[in-house]
Amino acid sequence: MPFEIVPSGTNINFLGHRRICLVISLALIGLGVVSVIARGGVPLGIDFVGGTEIQLLFDDAAGADESAIRDVARASGFSDATVVRFGEEGSNEFLVRFKDEPAVAVEVDVVETEAGDIVEEVVVVSDGLEANTRIIQLESAIREQIGDFTEQRVEFVGPRVGAELRADGVNALLFSALAILAYVAFRFNARFAPGAVVAVVHDLAITGGLLVIAGVEFDLRILAAMLAILGYSLNDTIIIYDRIRENMELHTTADLEEVLNASVNQTLSRTVLTSITTIIALVSLYTLGGDVIRPFAFAMLIGVLVGTYSSIFIASPLLLFLETRYGDSGEGGKKGGKGSGANLAKNKPARA
Amino acid sequence: MSGSIGWKAGAVGALLVLFSFLAMANFVPKDERVASEFWPDDGLRLGLDLRGGIHWVVGVELADAVTRELEFVRKTIEEQLKDEGIALAGARVEGGVLRLDIPSEDLRSKVVQFADDSGVLTSPEGDGLQLRYRLTDDWTQSVRERTMSQVLEVLRRRIDDPQRGIPDSVVTRQGTDRVLVQIPGEQIDRDRARSLLKSTGFLEFKIVIDSDSTKEELLARHPGGPTEDQMIVLQTDQESGVAESAFLVSKVADITGDYLDDARVQFDQQQRPIVEFRFNPAGGEIFGELTENNKNKGLAIILDNNVYSAPAIRGRITTRGQIEGQFSAAEAADLAVILRAGSLSVPVVIEEERTVGPGLGQDSIESGALACVIGLVLVLAFAGAYYRLSGGFASVALLANLVLLVGLMSLFEATLTLPGIAGLVLTVGMAVDANVIIFERIREELRKNRAVRAAIATGFSKATWTVLDANITTLITAVILFQYGTGPIKGFAVTLSIGIVTSVFAALVVTRLLFQLYPGTRSVSTLSI
Repeated sequence: MPFEIVPSGTNINFLGHRRICLVISLALIGLGVVSVIARGGVPLGIDFVGGTEIQLLFDDAAGADESAIRDVARASGFSDATVVRFGEEGSNEFLVRFKDEPAVAVEVDVVETEAGDIVEEVVVVSDGLEANTRIIQLESAIREQIGDFTEQRVEFVGPRVGAELRADGVNALLFSALAILAYVAFRFNARFAPGAVVAVVHDLAITGGLLVIAGVEFDLRILAAMLAILGYSLNDTIIIYDRIRENMELHTTADLEEVLNASVNQTLSRTVLTSITTIIALVSLYTLGGDVIRPFAFAMLIGVLVGTYSSIFIASPLLLFLETRYGDSGEGGKKGGKGSGANLAKNKPARA
Repeated sequence: MSGSIGWKAGAVGALLVLFSFLAMANFVPKDERVASEFWPDDGLRLGLDLRGGIHWVVGVELADAVTRELEFVRKTIEEQLKDEGIALAGARVEGGVLRLDIPSEDLRSKVVQFADDSGVLTSPEGDGLQLRYRLTDDWTQSVRERTMSQVLEVLRRRIDDPQRGIPDSVVTRQGTDRVLVQIPGEQIDRDRARSLLKSTGFLEFKIVIDSDSTKEELLARHPGGPTEDQMIVLQTDQESGVAESAFLVSKVADITGDYLDDARVQFDQQQRPIVEFRFNPAGGEIFGELTENNKNKGLAIILDNNVYSAPAIRGRITTRGQIEGQFSAAEAADLAVILRAGSLSVPVVIEEERTVGPGLGQDSIESGALACVIGLVLVLAFAGAYYRLSGGFASVALLANLVLLVGLMSLFEATLTLPGIAGLVLTVGMAVDANVIIFERIREELRKNRAVRAAIATGFSKATWTVLDANITTLITAVILFQYGTGPIKGFAVTLSIGIVTSVFAALVVTRLLFQLYPGTRSVSTLSI
């Protein structure tokens, strides 16, 4: 007998519990919104707001602690510098971050005019590489007052680049959603597309909210994770929709809710199995992959869990909802809960 | 076994052997690869986040180039008007606009005529006696393009010059007004790289009118301060930044570095490094005349408004000269590079920096590889336990997938970054999906009491489009990520996209083939799945 995680013949009435699922999803989204408001916005990393981050590994731990480094930084004119220990407790690696307005250094020259008046002449001496100079300044102050270190990583994002990366990130998410909408409409039926997109948006909203609650800062790595989650969640949804389409063709007269339920159940073992292997790989990445990649792995883990949940509990009820509400302009709307699957099956050949 | 399957198995086998070879070459150290006849010289490139190095996005201030061009046009128009005996009431360039103030209404057409003749200005705006011009769009574009190629050229000669630059570094254009500078290295000297970038390399020679040890003392002797066409420049100590001497010189240079032909490091009698330079013939003529007429005066050698040295002129010098300063041999070498490369005509700004130390890079490679291997082993074990023999097939497909993925990336000499490794691990987890879809289908068919061979055939045919649909959508997001991602994130998009393609191939071709080999045409009553 084959080994089965989901026993064959499983027939859970997922659609019957759609109200509970709706409540859970709305609660999760609401929680995310509340925590974003409570924090005064989505916490953005330097990739998106600009700033400087340096990671220093001290040769010896003596004297190197967060407050000492912070004091040195503040005393050297980096009033907004934050310092956190990197990695485990007791490590001698630190992350120093400061927001750095492109400093325009100004020098005041005292010049005597021909008339004998002393006037002050302001000369701008900033060479445009000022922000970069500040890194060197801070590092030499820390080196002198605390101890020698290896510069592990330096990231500096200027305000203009930060704004562009932010815009690019939003565009990437937006265009992905549009491209997917178009592909689903082309390959399936335009009626499937809104469900797929709403499911994806649902996943990203919940994942984003949970990340904000967990205190994860949004940077390029998290954006990459979000796009990968978008792809993953969609992959899951498409497979169920594909089965729904196939079942519709087989049973054109069947009750839509029944067809949806059957489709979710038939693909359930695949949904669960793929989630398991992906989670195995991600847990390995999370635990072994190192500190730099950990936030990415964490975001992906949450995203895969949310994506799996939504493929099973949300994507099909969404389809049912959209179909019964907007399905047939004439009759579908009036029939209320009982949509017919015929509309979803028509038009498009299932396979080439 | 039918002939066609044998042929197919041979082709897939050969492909896998070839790609294993390409993939394995990456584990052979670079110098051994180059030395041996057997291994290919090039393969996967390591991103700077793994290799260690500096990644700079340098912004070019193109607005300055436009202003400079307008200034040039302004001067030309003023000179032309002067030849006709007309003086403008005012002319200046501000915020990309050239403003000409006409002295009286009857001269208006004359001024407009000259402005028109320049051929690079838009038609005038403004009323009364004030005319406002901009550069035409075409000309602005051409000025910007010219400036970009000049900046690129100069930075290339300074940074990735094969002989004198920093080995392996890359300078490429990015977008309309940026230059991407990548400097890999075990021993990164940020200060040195920065000074190569920082120096605009603007070399001037000016006759010293007067000098003293400090600016204040110099000013004390010239109570009115420097006149309209004079200025004060300082000689500062390179180490401490303390000013050592002050010189009163004219604002306009007597000769600039534009006439330089070559510059190289030499050593004087005390074995101190000096930079020797040579002018081209035209420069030699000007320089000869200058030194002839100013014997026994000081000649300030000024780079980017800082005096390097101010030797006294002993006699006529034409093409050769030297710069003495208190610099190390390395600094002298860099100065020679900067002089030879020419000057940057506009300022540049570092807009983004991502620097990774080689230690952290090595750690990232090790932990990434470990995560990949452990993830792979666990997924293989899971697939084997769950699907038994078929799980074994899926495992073979997964390994084939990785070989193809790494082999393809090596073939294209793609760059592997840390997010790229994450993409690799993610691919390990997700690639089994295609096999899972197929196997679950086959199981379903078997449950309907179909014969094994029929179940396999139906399973594959029903799953094919599902697999394709699911993967094409993911591919779309990966491609969009590639389009919008920068640096290391692009690496993630690369591994993810190639991984999607190879995993579809592995499931639909490799797994399929394995089933054709066993059970193939044999009639078996049960399938281990």
